[in-house]
Amino acid sequence: MMLGPGVDDSFGRQLDVPLPPMPSEMRSTLLLIASAAVLVGCGSKEGSSSSGTAGGTVIIDTPGNAVAIFPPYVDDQIGRWVQDLVFDRLADLKAGGTTIGDRGFTARLAQKWTWAPDSMSIAFSLDPRARFHDGTPVTASDVRYSFNVFTDPKVGSPTAPTLTNIDSISVRDSLTPVAWFKRRTPEQFYDLAYQLVVLPQHVYAGIPADQLRTSAATRSLVGSGPFRLVKWEAGARLELIADTSNYRGRPKLDRLIMTAVETPTAATQVLAGQADFVEAFPVDQVPKLDSSAVARSNIEPQLGYTFMGMNQHVAKSKTAPNPIFSDIRVRRALSMAVDRVGMLHNVFGNTGLLAHGPFPMTASYADSTLKLPAFDTTAARAMLDSSGWRVGADGMRSKNGVPLRFSLMSPTTSLFRRRYAVLLQEQFRRLGVQVDLDFVDGPTAVLRSQAGDFQAILHTPGTDPSITGAKQFWGTGGIGPAGHNILPYSNPKVDALLDSAAAAFDPDKAKAAASRAFQTIIDDVPAIWLYDVTYYNGINRRITIPQPTLAGWWMNVEHWSIPADKRIPRDRIGLTAAKP
Amino acid sequence: MRRQLAARLAQSLIVVIIVTTISFFVIRSAPGDPFSYESTTITPAIRDHWREQFGYNRPLPVQFIRYVTSVAHGELGYSFQMHEPVAVALAAAVPRTLLLTGLALGLSFLFGIIIGVLQATHRDGWFDRVTSAVLLFFYSLPDFWAALMILLLFAYWWPVLPAGNIVDPVMHDYMGGWEALVDRLRHLALPVLSFTLLTMAGITRYQRAAMIETLPMDFIRTARAKGLSERRIVWRHALRTALTPMVALLGLMLPALLGGALFIEKVFAWPGMGLLAAGAVAARDYDLVTATVIAGSVMVVIGSFFADLLHMAIDPRVRE
Repeated sequence: MMLGPGVDDSFGRQLDVPLPPMPSEMRSTLLLIASAAVLVGCGSKEGSSSSGTAGGTVIIDTPGNAVAIFPPYVDDQIGRWVQDLVFDRLADLKAGGTTIGDRGFTARLAQKWTWAPDSMSIAFSLDPRARFHDGTPVTASDVRYSFNVFTDPKVGSPTAPTLTNIDSISVRDSLTPVAWFKRRTPEQFYDLAYQLVVLPQHVYAGIPADQLRTSAATRSLVGSGPFRLVKWEAGARLELIADTSNYRGRPKLDRLIMTAVETPTAATQVLAGQADFVEAFPVDQVPKLDSSAVARSNIEPQLGYTFMGMNQHVAKSKTAPNPIFSDIRVRRALSMAVDRVGMLHNVFGNTGLLAHGPFPMTASYADSTLKLPAFDTTAARAMLDSSGWRVGADGMRSKNGVPLRFSLMSPTTSLFRRRYAVLLQEQFRRLGVQVDLDFVDGPTAVLRSQAGDFQAILHTPGTDPSITGAKQFWGTGGIGPAGHNILPYSNPKVDALLDSAAAAFDPDKAKAAASRAFQTIIDDVPAIWLYDVTYYNGINRRITIPQPTLAGWWMNVEHWSIPADKRIPRDRIGLTAAKP
Repeated sequence: MRRQLAARLAQSLIVVIIVTTISFFVIRSAPGDPFSYESTTITPAIRDHWREQFGYNRPLPVQFIRYVTSVAHGELGYSFQMHEPVAVALAAAVPRTLLLTGLALGLSFLFGIIIGVLQATHRDGWFDRVTSAVLLFFYSLPDFWAALMILLLFAYWWPVLPAGNIVDPVMHDYMGGWEALVDRLRHLALPVLSFTLLTMAGITRYQRAAMIETLPMDFIRTARAKGLSERRIVWRHALRTALTPMVALLGLMLPALLGGALFIEKVFAWPGMGLLAAGAVAARDYDLVTATVIAGSVMVVIGSFFADLLHMAIDPRVRE
């Protein structure tokens, strides 16, 4: 993922904000120099003044610290925001665009691209205007270097597995990198143009690959995106300013400040106007946003969905079948006993989105017509009875002396999943099934889910826009260290259909194959599909934002604006450098 | 006295070493490691690669020896959460926590002692009853909840003070000297107020009890017989004696204050040691966890050490 324009000088902003006291002589000298810099250096650049259409400072409250901001290591949400604001990809995915072929993409760093007749290579024509934030032109060598860094085993980039179909990148001339593929696939363009972030070779090439993670240089990002990093105080504050001479145009805002503030306090700050934006405003507090004169809500569906997965094996075992969940009748009965719509309303009010299967509805391959097990508690009871799980005197079910009882693991970090766990527990209790809630902290949840150390789990995979992402979660190949199929679920028919979907060059055929795969998964009931992830962002009313893209609000921050008549003092500081 | 001090220092060093060792093994025995964060793209194979790269797949005793060796060389390790050497992260966070807790501690003791003395001298009067009830109310509140309520009260319902952060994240750097100072004080107000209200009650109760014990003593009667004013008797003679247990309390309160800093820093987005430690534990940032424990124990040990010195200074019996 990524986005944005970016580079420039920090001079030449109007000095209409309170400055630290300084002798008037010095101030006038600085003003003179600043004016000269504007005239000489930036005269031709658009919008370097915060009094016109461009200007404004937006404070974004983040729930914590970025795990990483250097692109090869970026994997978390906050790191992705920073990466996509500071760096560029070769091409952008259009809103709702397909990842098959290149029809769903628009130009970014690459102005255009040319496929070889055999489709085994693509030559990209880089925008000759593109510059890194230090003024160095973006060249084909940078693209090749970036690919080499992302795929270097010593670096261990989480993006590396998505680049395995690319054999190499060669440099035809300074503005023409050529990507060579190992085989022709429907998503080979997506694999390279969207997954690879272009880094400046001259900045990072001197750092040994195995030292990149701990190198101080990777804290000082130099990209070609719409914003450039000014300062990062990990755990406290991160500052980005507009790259006013960016080849794709100047962002309409001057500055973005990200401060690490946890949700209850962040919500208060947004409602009080102290901060301007917070992602995932507490759902139960959203009415306060709607009635606020300061802030408003902005709904943003995500590429994620949540389900209750049922481990097909005994916890920690790779082979022994789970005595409860190995029986499809039990899985189906549990699924039918759950009032998914009722739970959705309970947790999200009227703003939740019901899950339709093993995919988010925001994905281009989503299908809302698939048939899920109906909510029917009578049928669910009958199904459990017929499978031998009978109700005892205590109202709970058992079979051959074994109680129908399992634990449901959920990370404490997710408020929604915690609420869902409690609701599921109650609904299963009415069915005569005992559920023990197993709340664990984030790292423990990750470790145990990977080790298969759970019976049932509330899980939220965040997929990528590509259909091949689904294979990682539901294909047999995703079982084990190479993938994310934690349940583990395996069905050769699904594997074949997902392969067909991933191999289809026609988006319609790919979607049809994916739909059949998803219906098969739904019929196998490895999980209960609960809700699609939706964020209710809190945003200050003085900020105008365009329609969010599929990939997230941060993908079009360069188009956010604050009308001149709504600006407050922090919007008017422009790009003036702060005191040291 | 020198021997006493030397023994105390040696004892402190042993405490720090023991605490370091325990924290090293405890955090590593918890499930997960620095690379176990939730991710949709990082495969187990990549995690294993990182573990190998940074030695987290080696036996614990080997890791411990490596860690002790590096600490002995002045290297506290690298923080994966903060993306910088642990020493740098601590250098930023410790002063912030010291500022917050130091101010809160000072104000808690100042007001706690004054109110405690007044309660004792007006025992069972309206002042004693009202302040006791109010302070008991604050004392019984859960830290996190009380801090959140104070935040909502003064930053949302009656928005007179900023809700969190150590300074204005945008404008502070553009402010002049006085303006910047006022900005800092405004941001300090709510966390310090919360901290002070939550800790003052205990101090007041101790001071009240100590004063009640002191006031009937013979030397106070003698002072009255000499015709000294009541104010002089209370605030000069009785208070000095009644302060002795407060010094011991000061030493005891330091660890509790550092623990309480976690809640206050979390609510008020104050990036100090408490927040740093909590984040490090959640992220299994091993080196940072161990270092924050070391720093915390050193601060407590130093605080206790100075409390002992103060105790010796004001109580001749201890010196003997």
